[in-house]
Amino acid sequence: MGSETIGPPLERPSRGKRLLWFSMLAAVWLSVVFSGLWVVWAYENRPGTEANPPQAWPPHSSLVPASDRPTLVFLAHPQCTCTRASIGELAEVLARTPNHPKTYVLFLRPSVVDADWEKTGLWRSAMALPDVTVLRDHDGVEARRFGVETSGQTLLYDAGGRLIFSGGITGSRGHAGDNAGEAALVALLTSGQADRRATSVFGCPLFATGN
Amino acid sequence: MMAALQHALEHAGPAGRRAEELFGQYQLDSHKRTDRLFAGLMGFQWIAGIIFALWVSPLAWYGTTSRTHLHVWAAVFLGGAICIFPVLLALFRAGEASTRYTIAVAQMLMGALLIHLTGGRIETHFHVFGSLAFLAFYRDWRVLIPATVVVALDHLLRGMFWPQSVYGVLVASQWRWLEHAAWVVFEDVILIVSCRRSILELKDTAERTAALEQEVKTRQQAENVASLTAAVGLALTRGTELPAMLQQCAEALVQRLDGGLARIWTADDRGDALELQAGAGACPQLDAQHTRVRIGAFTIGKVAQAREPVLMRAADVIQPVADPSWAEREGLVAFAGYPLLLDSKLVGVLAMFAPHEFAPSALDAMAAVADAVALGIDREHAERELARYTRDLEAAHDTQRQNGEQLATLVDQLRMTQRQAEAATRAKSDFLASMSHELRTPLNAIILYSELLQEEAEDRPQPSSVADLQRIQSAGKHLLELINGILDLSKIEAGKMTLSLESFDVRAMIHELVDTVGPLVRQNGNQLTVHCADDLGTMHADLMKTRQILLNLLSNAIKFTRDGAITVDVARGLAGAQPSIVFAVTDSGVGMTLEQSAKIFDPFSQADVTTTRKYGGTGLGLAIVSRFCLLMGGEISVESFPDRGSCFTVRLPIEVVDAVDEPVTVGTA
Repeated sequence: MGSETIGPPLERPSRGKRLLWFSMLAAVWLSVVFSGLWVVWAYENRPGTEANPPQAWPPHSSLVPASDRPTLVFLAHPQCTCTRASIGELAEVLARTPNHPKTYVLFLRPSVVDADWEKTGLWRSAMALPDVTVLRDHDGVEARRFGVETSGQTLLYDAGGRLIFSGGITGSRGHAGDNAGEAALVALLTSGQADRRATSVFGCPLFATGN
Repeated sequence: MMAALQHALEHAGPAGRRAEELFGQYQLDSHKRTDRLFAGLMGFQWIAGIIFALWVSPLAWYGTTSRTHLHVWAAVFLGGAICIFPVLLALFRAGEASTRYTIAVAQMLMGALLIHLTGGRIETHFHVFGSLAFLAFYRDWRVLIPATVVVALDHLLRGMFWPQSVYGVLVASQWRWLEHAAWVVFEDVILIVSCRRSILELKDTAERTAALEQEVKTRQQAENVASLTAAVGLALTRGTELPAMLQQCAEALVQRLDGGLARIWTADDRGDALELQAGAGACPQLDAQHTRVRIGAFTIGKVAQAREPVLMRAADVIQPVADPSWAEREGLVAFAGYPLLLDSKLVGVLAMFAPHEFAPSALDAMAAVADAVALGIDREHAERELARYTRDLEAAHDTQRQNGEQLATLVDQLRMTQRQAEAATRAKSDFLASMSHELRTPLNAIILYSELLQEEAEDRPQPSSVADLQRIQSAGKHLLELINGILDLSKIEAGKMTLSLESFDVRAMIHELVDTVGPLVRQNGNQLTVHCADDLGTMHADLMKTRQILLNLLSNAIKFTRDGAITVDVARGLAGAQPSIVFAVTDSGVGMTLEQSAKIFDPFSQADVTTTRKYGGTGLGLAIVSRFCLLMGGEISVESFPDRGSCFTVRLPIEVVDAVDEPVTVGTA
């Protein structure tokens, strides 16, 4: 079966035209891709709601602070995937400090959720950390007492009960690696001095009303 | 083999071009293959990113409520956006430089996305280095540049806008992004070295492959030439019909040399035109009048006229066809014409069109084929001539055989006739011998009684009857002489005459003869003179026959000479190389003419019919003399002039050999 072409034969576009077309398509493609990446980068680098923690250990907290060493309070949303990086950084902090602070990891436990809602991989990861007390924070009572709104918020009180650090310990949302919060925390725990005492926190909001 | 490859590499003519072509092809194949590899890899990364996002961060939480995490949407849409363009390019523009550069950019962008999807895990950063290694599959170090630029830009831009996400600090110094990029550049350097080495190996492979191809091609050409030579040789040696032989040669040329058309023309007998004998390949129909081309007409005729090979473009050939553009349509680009010469004699032209330029080996092969075809044509002509000669010879042989058969028949008939003649001769001789015997007996009685009666009559007084009785006696003696002559002659011819050899003194025999004929000499008033040489001596022969020879000669001389002189000369001489005695009897008588001399030794022949009547005689004397001479190995000759006399010369061997068993040739001396 043969084919027949009617009309003048199709001409292959010239090299210049093809380059122009390619350049245009490539520009569109790069624009789309960089726009998408920009959105992702912006999302990851947008910090959560800043905490407003009490400068002294809240007297109504059910948590008992240590009197002979600093006390670290880490508040997390058990379903927040971004907090996985924060748990990892907490482990890094504990690993880099020979004298562990008294550490509490509080996982939000709303009363309206199913049983074991909070028993996630994050819970298990936190349970695996040394010298860490993992607790449920029913309906976020302790989070509110410490003025925390975002998962991954880390607070450090000294042995006297004074707030010496408040912030996140990841560089961006769900992004592992060296960051300013982690570095400050390690410095405070090892030398008692740090160049900063507050950082942005990156994580899911603990309370829907906050968004 | 290695030497051949080295040789081919050193002479980078066609092989060098082929090596470049192969190198380009290898690179293109490598680029296309790697494009397809990345098309698959990007699709895999896209799917893997989605799965990973769904598994690790499917939801973003706000207290007790949740929504699909942005990572999922980013994995689906942003990952798809990153993949779609390079994948399409890899599928539809594989091998293009822009495709692999796009793929390099997309691969690094995909790496950036995956790093974010995995939460910046340090392990995911190895994706960058793995991607660079994958990009090195292109063996084009330039694709590493856009990939490295993307990594650098990623760090640069994020360092500028979100420094904490990159360097962990809010204000990072400028060297940090350079440090990150430097590690990438470090790998780039290693990969660039690797790419260059790989390219060199690829070039080396291309050159070796090209050299090998060239070697194979050369061998193939050599095999084709050998095969062509063999095929042509076979056709020319085994063929019997010239057109069929040349047709096979033309077909072999087209097949073995990958030709488009081959034609063989032969010169006509007069040598002023070419006639098409064979053609193979893409043969267009020649114009009917152009299967015969005059020498000098068209390109074919010019080749014949110049008697030099011609190599030219097919489009420039002037052809005896209705449509000169057929060669272009058939894709034929080259033409070669070779005159078929035999010792500078033109026997034809070999012409060939090809869809490619002729290789030197092909031209050499055609030259060899032209020589072979010329020889083949000459051989066929020679065989044709030989066949014609053979036919003529066979015809002559048949004629000769028929003549031989006729001759044999004639010989048989002749033999039969000879046998019959011999039988008749023997019968005649027997008859004559017996008849002579039977006749002589009564004849002797008649002669004897007539002599008695004559004596009685002379005593009686009746002398009248004496004359009659003398006539009776004379007639009887003549008749007896005749019968004796016939008897001797028949004996000689029948081979029954024998020799009675003995030694005798020649001089004594001569004197005895002279005494015998003395009365007769004086009766005719003649004078007889005898000259005998002093050294005659004796001879060994048949005395009676010798005496009879000389007696006959003397009798004839006396009979035909009146008042003249008769001379007998006897001396030694030679008969050939044999010592002999020469007897010469000369008279001054009536003599003979030349014609008479020629038949004087035939039986019953005398000089003329009047001789017998005038001088008497039987006509057998000289015939018997001649045969006696031959019988004894001698010869007789005569020299005579009318009215001046005759000279009979007899040469007899001194030592006669008895040869009576041998047949005697009857004839004149």
